[in-house]
Amino acid sequence: MSPPISRRGILRGTLGGTTVLVGESCAPKMVSERAEAPAAATPAASTEPVSPQKLELTVNGAARSLDVDPERTALELVRSDLGLTGCKESCGHGACGACSVLLDDVPVAACLLPAVALHRRRLTTVEGLAPAGELHPIQRAFMAEDALQCGFCTPGFVVAASAFYTRWRAEHGNKEPDRDTVAAALAGNLCRCAAYDGIIRAVQKASSGAYEKPVGPEPAAPRYDAREKVTGAAKYTVDVQLPEQLEGKILRSPHAHARVRKVDWSKALALPGVFGAVDLLNGGTTIRFAGQELLAIAAVDARTAEAALAAVELDLEVLPALIGMDAARADGAAPVYPTRNTRKSAPNASEGPLLPLGWDGNVRGPFQLFSTAKLKARRAVEKLRDKPAEGVLVEGTYKTQVQCHSALEPHACVAHWTAADAVTVHLSTQSVHAVAEDIAQRWGLRRDHVRVLAQYVGGGFGGKATLQLECVAAVELARVTGKPVRVVLERREELTTGGLRPAQEIELAVATDRDGYLQGVTARAFADAGCGVGSNSTVLLRLMYAKAPKDIADWDVVNHAPPGKPFRGPGGPPVFWALEQAVDVAAERLKLDPILLRKRFDPNPARNRLYDWALSLKTWRERQPAQSDRGRYRRGMGLAVGGWFYFVQPSARVQVDAGPEGVVVSTACQDIGNGTRTVLAETVAAVLGIAPADVKVQIGDSSFVPGPMSGGSRTTASLVPAAIMAAEQLRDELVERAEQLVGARGVAVAGGVRHPRGVVTWQQLLAGSPPLRFVGTRKRDQGGYFLPPMYDIAPGRYVAGSLQIIEVEVDTRLGRIRVLRSHTGVAAGHIVAPALARSQALGGVIQGIGYALYEERRLDPRTGALLTGGLEDYRIPGIGDIGELDVHFIEDGYERVNGRSVGLAELVTVAPAAAIGNAVAHATGFRPRELPLRPDRVLQGLRG
Amino acid sequence: MTSLELPTSLDAALGRAGEPRAGGTDLTERRRLNLSRGTVIDLRDVPGLDVITWREGQLHLGALVTLAAVAEHPEVRTRYPAVAATAASIATPQIRARATVGGNLLQHVRCWYYRRPGADCLKSGGSGCPARTGDHLFHACFDLGPCVAPHPSSLATALLAHDVRLEVAGDREHTLASLYGDASDARRQHMLPPGALLTGVTLGPPLAAEQAAYVRAISRARAEWPLVEVVVRLVVAADQLQTARVTVGGVANLPLRLAAVENLLVGKPATPETLTAAAAVAADGAKPLTGTAYKLDLLRGAVLDALERALAQTPTQAAPTPAAAPT
Repeated sequence: MSPPISRRGILRGTLGGTTVLVGESCAPKMVSERAEAPAAATPAASTEPVSPQKLELTVNGAARSLDVDPERTALELVRSDLGLTGCKESCGHGACGACSVLLDDVPVAACLLPAVALHRRRLTTVEGLAPAGELHPIQRAFMAEDALQCGFCTPGFVVAASAFYTRWRAEHGNKEPDRDTVAAALAGNLCRCAAYDGIIRAVQKASSGAYEKPVGPEPAAPRYDAREKVTGAAKYTVDVQLPEQLEGKILRSPHAHARVRKVDWSKALALPGVFGAVDLLNGGTTIRFAGQELLAIAAVDARTAEAALAAVELDLEVLPALIGMDAARADGAAPVYPTRNTRKSAPNASEGPLLPLGWDGNVRGPFQLFSTAKLKARRAVEKLRDKPAEGVLVEGTYKTQVQCHSALEPHACVAHWTAADAVTVHLSTQSVHAVAEDIAQRWGLRRDHVRVLAQYVGGGFGGKATLQLECVAAVELARVTGKPVRVVLERREELTTGGLRPAQEIELAVATDRDGYLQGVTARAFADAGCGVGSNSTVLLRLMYAKAPKDIADWDVVNHAPPGKPFRGPGGPPVFWALEQAVDVAAERLKLDPILLRKRFDPNPARNRLYDWALSLKTWRERQPAQSDRGRYRRGMGLAVGGWFYFVQPSARVQVDAGPEGVVVSTACQDIGNGTRTVLAETVAAVLGIAPADVKVQIGDSSFVPGPMSGGSRTTASLVPAAIMAAEQLRDELVERAEQLVGARGVAVAGGVRHPRGVVTWQQLLAGSPPLRFVGTRKRDQGGYFLPPMYDIAPGRYVAGSLQIIEVEVDTRLGRIRVLRSHTGVAAGHIVAPALARSQALGGVIQGIGYALYEERRLDPRTGALLTGGLEDYRIPGIGDIGELDVHFIEDGYERVNGRSVGLAELVTVAPAAAIGNAVAHATGFRPRELPLRPDRVLQGLRG
Repeated sequence: MTSLELPTSLDAALGRAGEPRAGGTDLTERRRLNLSRGTVIDLRDVPGLDVITWREGQLHLGALVTLAAVAEHPEVRTRYPAVAATAASIATPQIRARATVGGNLLQHVRCWYYRRPGADCLKSGGSGCPARTGDHLFHACFDLGPCVAPHPSSLATALLAHDVRLEVAGDREHTLASLYGDASDARRQHMLPPGALLTGVTLGPPLAAEQAAYVRAISRARAEWPLVEVVVRLVVAADQLQTARVTVGGVANLPLRLAAVENLLVGKPATPETLTAAAAVAADGAKPLTGTAYKLDLLRGAVLDALERALAQTPTQAAPTPAAAPT
């Protein structure tokens, strides 16, 4: 039987996240059961058979005749019956547009379109926008302007944009549409990576005729896999369809706190079309959040599996639930984890291993390992409380909300046992390598008998870093049924257990002397990671203003809510929301430019380069004085800075194979939209002086040499040096060969080896050659790391820096904050793929805007039921919410880093909320303390 | 038992037990959530209901006309600008391409306690309103009870600012007031008898020299359900406000007409002072829930905004027929 899921953290390569929550092992361990005699061909167990409807339609130009179940949506028909998987299911209720198709040339949401509505209509999907082998101008533009990251939303955007393009050009010819016109046309599409700036640019340019004809044989695309993504050819885990594949569905607790008295799935297993069931309680008997996984059932299709879930006999003793930190801290609140053993079972919401900490009721902590000169910090604050005239003391409590990762591709897994002791797992994951190890361990398999595949991953942001229950369920159901099983979370499930950034309450004090020199920082952070533990944010204060004394501590306040997970820059957005606003207040009181004050505090070389850049900006120098506008609309400009760790995965390897077929680079890494393929191709191509497109990249397969997790901003920093090393070994070998071939020593030049009599190309050298193979490793940095590698991750000796300026307009009448412009400075060393880095940086800024203004997971305060269960109520930023953006990279520094690149994915998302807070205060005098800045909060704040 | 019926004429569509389906943008989700069960009467093959007609000084919108068509139709845009502006602000382009006039008027509430698996509320047949005592951030501030979800139809808010007749096959002609009733029975989304079908809406003559505006208070730029929405229609003659219609949505389980605001406008000079004084009474009589008091401020602000925006519009053309005198 299977061991429980590991509780190790990302730093060690993997973690529990929302996993098995209950370790009280009085009940039996993981149990699964195969249905006695499933009737394979009988779907829809619970409903009476309905007569199919006959449809005549044109699909991408070809007449089709189909019989469909009248309850089906067009989305189901397009994806399952027609096999056109460029059309994606994401939100399921018309909010995200990933399923956009053209119905008689008009974009509609296929998820809300009854299949029968297609009768006698023309249906066009992304696959049919251009003749086979050709591209629509919008597709060319998306490729050339890099209007995409993970690519999951891209087909929907391309479809909607193609209709706009046609209409615009018919009405306006070659005139370029303005940004807001494009945004209005694409308001029905969401991109969680937030590649919006590139999308707007692509649509503007294509609509003005810039991409009418192919420039060359291929449009020059900065992103290696752009063509697959804009054409819908890229296959994500949700698109995998194996013969006889079953669909698995998860039964979840409707109650936030309950004791499981009985679970009986015998009636469910007896239903026709039902193949097997697996228990997901892992022997536990206590439910600690609404939506917690109880069991999963595999059936011939999703409806049959859902009907089977409804037939499970469930006896739950409902217990009083504590929802939120206030309830959990109230006098007499019953402990969520009453015993030592149950506390050990609490899910790990952090990236690292959990340290043993004390518990007081539902409060776990303090975690204060990273304080420095603690007493001095405390005394500096206390002194100013007694004698305020001796300096500036800024104190306050800053609150933040729960933010959900909500990648547009939900958590998804298709598992298939190829032998009794070998399994292949298609998984939407940020770590094919580490998850393969975890699967091997959990099912007691040889590591080389587990293959995890993730060709394309539709976003992760930290929520898909580890082995989680959709994977456990699929693998175990596949094992017990003997058939491939797919488990895909619905959007509501995704917003429940797909991952969340814990809410925080941070009591912060910043003390400076009268001249504005930092004397101390104290912070007490209380985190609501639901029933999860290990959240910390104050450690990040050590990355900032490093010389100052700091008394910093974190606590978890556990309650009956879904557990937190690491989310892009864990702890960063909340703690910088507090710190960077407090610093701004200090600057106001000291009557100092906020940048000059920070320069006094800050020895960090990366940020100091950014300060100088920002001071040179006209827009900053000429910003209007605070509260200049007195009318309804008030503009303000805010600044905040951020810092982030620089991590390396020392085990990372990159393999380069070369032979008559060409050059192939491979590693067990994945591309979640960050650009892994591009970085590998560009790096190897640069060494050999060839085109990146001439390098074949193979990733997303755990059978390759170990690659890094796409998390902790480590991918580029880990892979580039290894890729350079392997490519240089290949190059040197080929130089040797050239010498043997031509009898004279040559030198490597672009495309081959130059020798006294001419140039011999790589192709000539590789033709007829036996295959060559080189494996590059990630050599350590000069001077080593800040700490020796632990759990296969090494924190480097540098702290990366970002500087964020955001200009807002506050509508004091309707409480709406509009971001007008943002300027982002990033000092993260050498930028390998500039277009992609730019897109990723802007995406991080826009996620920060969403965090500041819109996003908020809400639960019913009594039952803990998820209220924001769809992308209609859980509001991520749309294409019209971004303003104008620019990003500036300062590539200096980091001389001792092997490869001179440190990550930027997290760095760019930590400061925007604070910059918006400072901008709002600059505009209106209202100093916000609580996120998100909804209209009601703004109106209340302005009233004072 | 689940089944689908595809009647090919209006007559054949009447008198059937089941839920009618037009664009399906609301019903599809409710089917999935099991909030709609039983037979679907799909109006796909019913002819003649998807037409916009401008004739004899009246505008007729067939029930199957899409919101996109309403928003783009030249006669609607020029003669009923408030209706066109409202339709253009609803949902997303993809939804507006399918959502219909009839479906928008008869859609079910968006309450997050209702639209979830296992919903247990008045609307879904339960005995209490969990939003009233729970988290009702987006709910009503005019508590007309028992259900506190805002009425979901922005189009109804716009039509309430016009004199409209609702044609119903299988029942008498309705007004918006008779269509929605007094909302005292939370289980009913509308008062149409089973088997009847809303077939279209007729708008009375346009106002000459109308200045109209629609304001939707939301947090993002687009594609959100309104916190508060306001439709304003004004006619200014000889510097005086001759006609004023002010209707609001997002604030009650019915669209509301704000007679008190209108009364403070009509007969007054079209000055900022008049608008401010009128907007100030927009929330009079409101009965907010514990968490929706913020909507009172927002409502006053949105009404003022709509009044100002309306006066900034170019007046519509004079109505074509003498019958179309202002009311």
